[in-house]
Amino acid sequence: MSWQLDRRRFLRGAAGPLLPLPFLNLMERKASGAAADGPPIRFMTLFKPNGVHPPSWSINGGTEFDFRMSPLMQPFAKHKQDLLILDNMGDFGFSSHANSTRRFLSGHHRNTKSASVDQLIADRIGKGTPHRSLELTTEGLFPNQIGCSYISYDSNGDPIPRESDPQLIFDRLFRSPMRNQDKRREMRSVLDRVSEDAKSLSRTAGVEDKQTLDQYLSVVRSTEKRIENIAASSNDIPKATMERPLAPANMNEQVESMLDLIALALWTDSTRCVTYMLGNSNSRMIFDFLGIKEQHHYLSHFFRNFSRQNLDALLKISLWHMEKFDYLLTRMKSYKDHEGSLLDHSIVLYGSGMGHSDNHTATRIPIILAGQGGGLVKTGRYVRYAENQQLGRLHLALLKLFDADQDSFAYSNNPLPGLNGSNFTPYNEQPFESWVKKGDGSITVQGRLRLSDNLDEARIFLIDIEGQPSIRIDVAFRDFHDFNLAYHCGTAVKITGTFTEKDGQPVITKVQELNSLFGKKPGSANG
Amino acid sequence: MSYRLPLLLIIFGWVTLCTPESAISSDQDKATSGKTTQAESDPQQVYQTTIQPLLRKHCFQCHGQGDEVHGEVNFRELKTEQQIEAAFELWSSVLEVIDSGAMPPETQPRLTSAEIEQFKSWYQKDLVDTIQPLPGILRPRRLSAHEYRQTLRSLFGFELEVAIAEAEQTVVEKSLVMKLLPVDPPGPSGFKNDTSANPLTTNVWDQYSFLIDDALEQWFDPRQREHIEVVAGPISAEHMTPEQAEKVLRWMLRHAYRRSPKAETIATSLAAIAGKRAAELESALRIELKSVLMSPPFIYRSLLATINAPNAKNDTVPPRPYGRVDDHELAERLSYFLWGDMPDDRLMQLADRGALHDPDVYASEVARMLEDAKSRNLAYNFGVEWFSLNEISKVSNNPPVSHALRQQPIDFLHHLFTEGQPLLELIDSNVTFVNPHTAKYYPRDRKRMTAYRKQRGIEVEAVSNQRLELTNTPERGGLLTMPGVLAMNKGPVIRGTWMLERIMGEHLPDPPANVGQVKPNQRGENLSFRERFELHRSNETCAICHNKIDPLGFAMQAYDASGNYKPAGSSNANTNKKRNKKKPDDPTNNQTASSPAARLDTSGRLSSGETFDDYDGLKQILITSRRRTVIENIVKRTLSYALARELNIHDVPTVDTITSELNQHGNLERQEGSYHDLINLVVNSLPFTHAEPQHTKND
Repeated sequence: MSWQLDRRRFLRGAAGPLLPLPFLNLMERKASGAAADGPPIRFMTLFKPNGVHPPSWSINGGTEFDFRMSPLMQPFAKHKQDLLILDNMGDFGFSSHANSTRRFLSGHHRNTKSASVDQLIADRIGKGTPHRSLELTTEGLFPNQIGCSYISYDSNGDPIPRESDPQLIFDRLFRSPMRNQDKRREMRSVLDRVSEDAKSLSRTAGVEDKQTLDQYLSVVRSTEKRIENIAASSNDIPKATMERPLAPANMNEQVESMLDLIALALWTDSTRCVTYMLGNSNSRMIFDFLGIKEQHHYLSHFFRNFSRQNLDALLKISLWHMEKFDYLLTRMKSYKDHEGSLLDHSIVLYGSGMGHSDNHTATRIPIILAGQGGGLVKTGRYVRYAENQQLGRLHLALLKLFDADQDSFAYSNNPLPGLNGSNFTPYNEQPFESWVKKGDGSITVQGRLRLSDNLDEARIFLIDIEGQPSIRIDVAFRDFHDFNLAYHCGTAVKITGTFTEKDGQPVITKVQELNSLFGKKPGSANG
Repeated sequence: MSYRLPLLLIIFGWVTLCTPESAISSDQDKATSGKTTQAESDPQQVYQTTIQPLLRKHCFQCHGQGDEVHGEVNFRELKTEQQIEAAFELWSSVLEVIDSGAMPPETQPRLTSAEIEQFKSWYQKDLVDTIQPLPGILRPRRLSAHEYRQTLRSLFGFELEVAIAEAEQTVVEKSLVMKLLPVDPPGPSGFKNDTSANPLTTNVWDQYSFLIDDALEQWFDPRQREHIEVVAGPISAEHMTPEQAEKVLRWMLRHAYRRSPKAETIATSLAAIAGKRAAELESALRIELKSVLMSPPFIYRSLLATINAPNAKNDTVPPRPYGRVDDHELAERLSYFLWGDMPDDRLMQLADRGALHDPDVYASEVARMLEDAKSRNLAYNFGVEWFSLNEISKVSNNPPVSHALRQQPIDFLHHLFTEGQPLLELIDSNVTFVNPHTAKYYPRDRKRMTAYRKQRGIEVEAVSNQRLELTNTPERGGLLTMPGVLAMNKGPVIRGTWMLERIMGEHLPDPPANVGQVKPNQRGENLSFRERFELHRSNETCAICHNKIDPLGFAMQAYDASGNYKPAGSSNANTNKKRNKKKPDDPTNNQTASSPAARLDTSGRLSSGETFDDYDGLKQILITSRRRTVIENIVKRTLSYALARELNIHDVPTVDTITSELNQHGNLERQEGSYHDLINLVVNSLPFTHAEPQHTKND
């Protein structure tokens, strides 16, 4: 296989200027496998903490190939053809933060004695690379509920330590004497110098000094030996002039640096399997760089801590998560890999272990697959299953894609159908009619309610009407609260209210009555 | 209140403890009184003919033969003079148990009074009287991870940190050094700065290499030259000039080695960059700097130290086996003790001039160092390791709470050490340090705290401590009743053991493995935990240690496992009578008079005979009749940390002198010395200021 490089591509160092990537020797690089083997398939996971705010996240209505992106997915419209958006994932009632974190890659919170799916995939694809897998995160450990800190688990079901420092990862990948000729040369001269020093000291030393110096020299000699061994059998990254990420000024820079490194690590085949947590579940992170002063977990309980500002802040954070996903995909598309891009030969799993971030339901968990994985996955689709699906079925299906010899995972025995375009039973919405009836000063509308696509005006709702423009609902907080508009998002409702005309379109300004066509009354379920 | 040792006393301490003259005169005293080791028979032979038969008769059965050796004591292994000397602490406890009749156990024949006398006289004559104070051999010691971290920071001017933005309520090691280097195990002294049993390995080597690369990377970073320019001067061009490179290299050699290196060392180093320019020069300089920072004199302390030749004033004095260490070594000892860090420029300059061993200069340097912010090291390392305060981190898994519980004793110890508080304030003090997470333990004093208001949307956060004078909280005050300290030691046995070891300075062997659990109340029984526990440990071998442990531990029983103060119900005669009685309608006071919990028994009797009703009574004993024991332990721990080694029999005279000095010391209300006095006595002591030369190959 040969490395291909677009000379105009740049690697951006965090907080720094755009830096050229003099990585040209890679172009002549030959990997160990024959070209006929095809490009390696990579598996990458991005974890989004604290569930979602369903009105802004969920896609409602539409079909497999014809659907409209939800407000939060708007940054993603450009990637639509590379995405497989899964819906109705998760079949569990309420779930703690720790349990939902385990569920994300282990399928079920009680699946605590097995490796998580990323590790099982790493067993398949990671053996020949310098790093079998990387487990990365943004935050430190959250000891209050330690399970919130991990998504990757080893074959005993024990958590795998994660790393959050981009510089350490960079050095481990590209600067270790293990993979870098220059570093080895430098280490050799240091070893020569210090052993001279130690020997000259030892000539005049007493017994106690001598013991110490002998111990020191034996470490020096064994390091020399290791260096020689590595030099003899090395698979070097040819030139080590890549820019090391700078210390980040804020979390955003840190995350972007890490995403840069992940793409680079996958592209240079330093590893084929990476998991990355955008935060701990239950994350108390304060997104000060977005101008937010409250903690993420507090805001994620958007119903019990409801205020206009809190919801706006939460949506900013959720959008930031999506932007980072976008950033990763854009970067992966920018790397040419054989006859396509790096993303074409990767499967990226984005999502959470929890659906509704306030009431912690583990249904309609956000899950998106990106990249075709060299043809393993059929993208450009929105797949909403008829029934709520165990997350373990998805993991089992992924394992099958990577040829793992496994018949069950996390209490699931049937792989989830439909990832590669195979048949599945889609969700069928109960049919209803949509219409508008204008009377004297009052209006009655029936149709599916949704949140505005523009998250800057998240208090605006719309009712979609077949064949007509959608009707805007722009009401005072009182109505929003009393009728619990957000609760009905995605479902069919009949609303009666007063309205004004704006640009020739009716805008509902006060709600008088709201009826759900099929749903429960608000308040009958938690949250 | 601040208290300083009068200058006279410092000089007195200096003369008695440190000068070679005093050591000689004491040797001579011994020589003239005919008690030197050479004068009579060989000590090993004396032991074999007088003591070993005694041990064989009474002790070997349990402590020296068969498959099982009881209590980690094996007399059979003690044969040579060195082994006998090394076991000096064992002998003093042997004396204690045979004297009090605790050993041999009741089922075995007792020692006759003649036999006891024989042992006593051997102990006094062959051990105590003949101990020659010796400072210990000058040994190289690898920097501990903490010392390495501090030293790098002082050299480069910045801390090596992981490059991550901080997130709330998570635990992360920010220091790159502490993150990458393996955790230091405590050495034989019990302190981590004693790295004698913690060798250099290839793993540590790789991490050193990584850390030095990282530090040099930042130092040479053209975007942030402020740190390297402190040394090199302003760098105007893209690269530094050859003159600047030479300056940097010379500076690094002197500072990394913590003394001026030999001319040939400097010459060899300079040769590595000679004739080079621009990028090539900087690259050669970096490799050379890395070599300096990876070389033995940097990573080991004392490797280049010298011992001043004893300067004999007259011929009658026998050659001394030790001498004063050079001033740079003294500076290094002082700064690693008080700061956990390399000497600063001022100390190095004083050492260059040979001025540091001048008593006035030395004393004023010690005072200056204690005032410096770096003296927090004493509380953060010495204090934390002495009292095992890191255990508090396990008490709560909520980081702001465990931070508050752990920070309280640390701030308190810092206050004791650096503000020169009397020694026993450790146990008995009316000053504490609290924040909103710990304030609930001080309900009647907390209203004087500055109010704290949490911001909207913040769930919990770490808050710094405020100093609080305790006027209405007599059940707190002092280290032992701090909630974190109480909560990290759960149960009376662990609390008692901890107190015995960390406060009274006793070393206990591990309990036998087959003791089983304390039995629950059987049908019809209504025994308190203490009563059931006493049945459980009534076995006489258990009693040896438990007679010491239990009174201490059960005295703390009015404090529950989380450190809350919950004295027993008022109806019981054995309860704390004086204070903080719960009102009868207090909902937490749901114990009936007859329930075991209500019959909380906090009284006890120490093996030395004193009795008390509750912890307050015990505290009074600790600060009055048993204060010498407590002070001696404080001295031993401090000396051992300062020397970064385990104490041995030749340190006993030093410990005794310092202890007596502090114990009798007097113009304070409490009549004991302060932590400033202690520190001054320690840094002027013989083992701190002197060293014995190393063995040579011919020895």
